[in-house]
Amino acid sequence: MTKKYAVLPCNGLDKCAGQMAREIALTVCEKTDSQLICPVFYRVADARYNKIANENPLLVIDGCATRCASKLAAEKNLKIYRKMTVTDETQKHGVTLAIEPLRLWEDEINLCAALAAELIKEEDVAESMAAAVIYPVPGDYLIHTKDKFMFRIPPEGFYFTENDCWVQPVGNRARIGVADYVQQSLSDIMFFTPPPVGVEVEQFGEAGAIESGKAVFELVCPVSGKIVAINKELLNSPEKINENPYEQGWIAELELTNFDEEKDFLLDADGYLQVLKRKVDEFHVNQRKG
Amino acid sequence: MAEELKIGVVSCSGEDCLGGTISRLATRKMLDEVRPDKTVTICLPLFLAGGQEERMFAKTFPTIAVDGCNKACAKRATEKYSGKVNGTILVSDIIGDTVSESAALSTRDVTAEHQTMVDKVAAEITKQFDAILNANSKNQAGSTATSCGCSCSGGCG
Repeated sequence: MTKKYAVLPCNGLDKCAGQMAREIALTVCEKTDSQLICPVFYRVADARYNKIANENPLLVIDGCATRCASKLAAEKNLKIYRKMTVTDETQKHGVTLAIEPLRLWEDEINLCAALAAELIKEEDVAESMAAAVIYPVPGDYLIHTKDKFMFRIPPEGFYFTENDCWVQPVGNRARIGVADYVQQSLSDIMFFTPPPVGVEVEQFGEAGAIESGKAVFELVCPVSGKIVAINKELLNSPEKINENPYEQGWIAELELTNFDEEKDFLLDADGYLQVLKRKVDEFHVNQRKG
Repeated sequence: MAEELKIGVVSCSGEDCLGGTISRLATRKMLDEVRPDKTVTICLPLFLAGGQEERMFAKTFPTIAVDGCNKACAKRATEKYSGKVNGTILVSDIIGDTVSESAALSTRDVTAEHQTMVDKVAAEITKQFDAILNANSKNQAGSTATSCGCSCSGGCG
């Protein structure tokens, strides 16, 4: 089974990344039954694409950090199922984009094909690698309050990084996610970019991103391992991270490779509580100065 | 100054039909080969999303809209946000409605036949492009000669 999307690319003409966004979009459409949405025509006359956009999982392909396609999706109140930003991907794959001339050369064309293949086949990999592990739900939480804000930390079974990410290990598997502090700071989370299933991630490497109207937060993976599943619920409902980042808002599941040693670099709940208090105090001081 | 004039070529995004792809490629030909020092292209999706640099450029400098089909997204968008365009090209008028409305094309699959279409469209853009440049040069020359309001070549104080 391959994915079928409504594909909304940025389609920019004046940057190499925009050209690549278009190329990836065309490739995905050629190889699946996906349907393309022209961002320009959609903006000026949306009747033609409303049905396609609302009835299919929406794949947004941005060229650069300006994120025109994502912004268009937000303007049209569309839920994004999967999102890709070409400049992020080129960095990840070590490809340097040509600034001038803007034509796509062999490296860019090959990367477009690889990224399109990843988008098309991701679902197959995810389903075959996911395994049934039961993750205990926190019974209660450590609470830290500051003014109107309340921050929760699960007291047991979770480890944290100073970058406000968590890991919940169970056997040789673990779930990862972001702490309450992140979701409070970002406010309403609108987009979720999962890490690719099947890839090996190093401890403190990047494992996906979440994005609100305020900022993008790249998840720092607390442990190394292979991504075996992502939280698909977040693709349609990223707001679940706001509701509870430790339970239904988990980001991805990993097969652990070196947890015993890596645990030494992580914080338990009490340790993280001290970090959290300091951050919250500093944030409030800065707010007052601002 | 006439030598600093740049011309904006605004191509339709070209996602829905071959005409759009040809528009993009012809615009790129202007930028890369035909008039590289004078051409500035505008990213239409960014322009529509509110890109201020794009909009200011199109307000300040002459623009040519290159549209794949008669929906004329590029022309309409430019005129909505930045004022009248100085030239328009409708690719479907050059390569025919039926061909223009066929499926969008990846740059991987461009054939010699497509390249001929690109060349024809680029030639038409060039014609309009040079007409705008020439008109601008004449205006510049005219305004210099009469800048002081007499026939002394502008030397009056």
